[in-house]
Amino acid sequence: MAREQEITKVFVEVADSLIDDFDLIDFLQQLSERCVELLDVAACGVLLADEHDVLQVLAASDEDTRLLELFALQHDQGPCVDCYRSGLPRTSINLEDPNAQQAWPQFAPAARQSGFVSTNAIPMRLRRKVIGALGLFQTSGRPLSDADATLAQALADVATIAILQQRTLAHSETERSQLQYALTSRIVLEQVKGILAERWQVTTDEAFVAFRAYARAHHHQLSHLARLIADGAFDTEQIPRPPQHR
Amino acid sequence: MISDGMAEVLRLLQLDVGFDAAAEVAARAAETLGVDGLTVSLATGGDRAELMWCTDQAAGRFEDVQLTLGEGPGPEAARTGAMVLVPDLAQVRPERWPALNGETSGLDVRAVFCFPMGIGAIRVGVLTVVRRTVGPLTDGQVGDAQVLAHALTGRALGSVVAGLDGTVPADSADTLLHAVVHQATGMVSVQLDVPLSQALLRLRAHAYSSGRPLTDISRDVVARRLRLDHNGNDNGNGNPLPVSDKD
Repeated sequence: MAREQEITKVFVEVADSLIDDFDLIDFLQQLSERCVELLDVAACGVLLADEHDVLQVLAASDEDTRLLELFALQHDQGPCVDCYRSGLPRTSINLEDPNAQQAWPQFAPAARQSGFVSTNAIPMRLRRKVIGALGLFQTSGRPLSDADATLAQALADVATIAILQQRTLAHSETERSQLQYALTSRIVLEQVKGILAERWQVTTDEAFVAFRAYARAHHHQLSHLARLIADGAFDTEQIPRPPQHR
Repeated sequence: MISDGMAEVLRLLQLDVGFDAAAEVAARAAETLGVDGLTVSLATGGDRAELMWCTDQAAGRFEDVQLTLGEGPGPEAARTGAMVLVPDLAQVRPERWPALNGETSGLDVRAVFCFPMGIGAIRVGVLTVVRRTVGPLTDGQVGDAQVLAHALTGRALGSVVAGLDGTVPADSADTLLHAVVHQATGMVSVQLDVPLSQALLRLRAHAYSSGRPLTDISRDVVARRLRLDHNGNDNGNGNPLPVSDKD
């Protein structure tokens, strides 16, 4: 698909999210996947600040637990934290640069071990306030082009709009309440990955793939279905089990 | 960023031994938040909840009504895991909480703000603050209240371990950033057939007794290198820890 068509598709999806009852985590995950398709990056994550001003992972282009952990490492160090605090984008940071290794002694080597060569952080802004950051990893040393940087900022803005306009709450009062709902949903999803992995005797990543396939096929919102499962209000036997390894 | 006042409240909370002796801390928290009343109710399994903190009669009555009816900003905050801020109760559409209005109209409560205490699907309780006058909380007050709710959550979920020798568990708020801790919680809840809150307690107890970080223990559980037995130990070693039967 041509780049222009790809971009158009993203904005159609955004428009849909405004009309339909949509699932935030699922939407942000798809948006992260789109970032990887549209920009010259290998992985993308959406990070949102919690009440302690600590960045939490809401979604990533790949739900692989290792990638999630890499984003989680950025809660107290890394370009996303710097970007969140300064409100300014940080692009084309070479992870092999001794300065990067020194500035982020845990994050930089972990990112390198995962095969990433450079990284970028784009602020998610709500008016003058920064609420989080988009983290973009590259496996090549090519700097992010100006066009890509501009588009990345547009996608970060779209993520912000999506978080703030979700109507999953029957009566949403405030932006902060929306942000908290999103963060809670993310944790429920992780708890449910564990529940399903143990019931099915598979890895948490495999459990998530089967869970998401079922939710999408049956038009369930991921967060809503996850809450039902965590509360024991949904019979998980209905979900086709992934193959076991043990 | 939390205020100096709330930082002091959290310090007092750390020193305190339990919810019972906390009346002074609660009053101080209410003062710091600039509200007329503050309550903390803890979930005690199923739909039941127990009032643990109460600084003011009207606030306590309001909370009682919410708990009895099972509707209102408090139950909604508990259900969604997101704060519910009502700066003017008179402006709430009647159909939102149909029964609440009639039961609370006589109380001297004009604004209510509810902050959930919990971790994902684990619901510990609700922190509720009320005012006799209408008007929103400031951003700073909302932030302070969220941090207090978080600290109370940690206390409620860590109190079993803390009871052993009076110290709080070694894991910090940061450990809850790690997806793997929540995944391990889900796995242990299935393995031991206990609620998620119990599963997290077992994980914390194990981390505490083995002197290892909660994230390490969680990684081992998720990788199936470690399996807790019904006493919260791995493979029957060590001493069993007392764990509350409460949800």
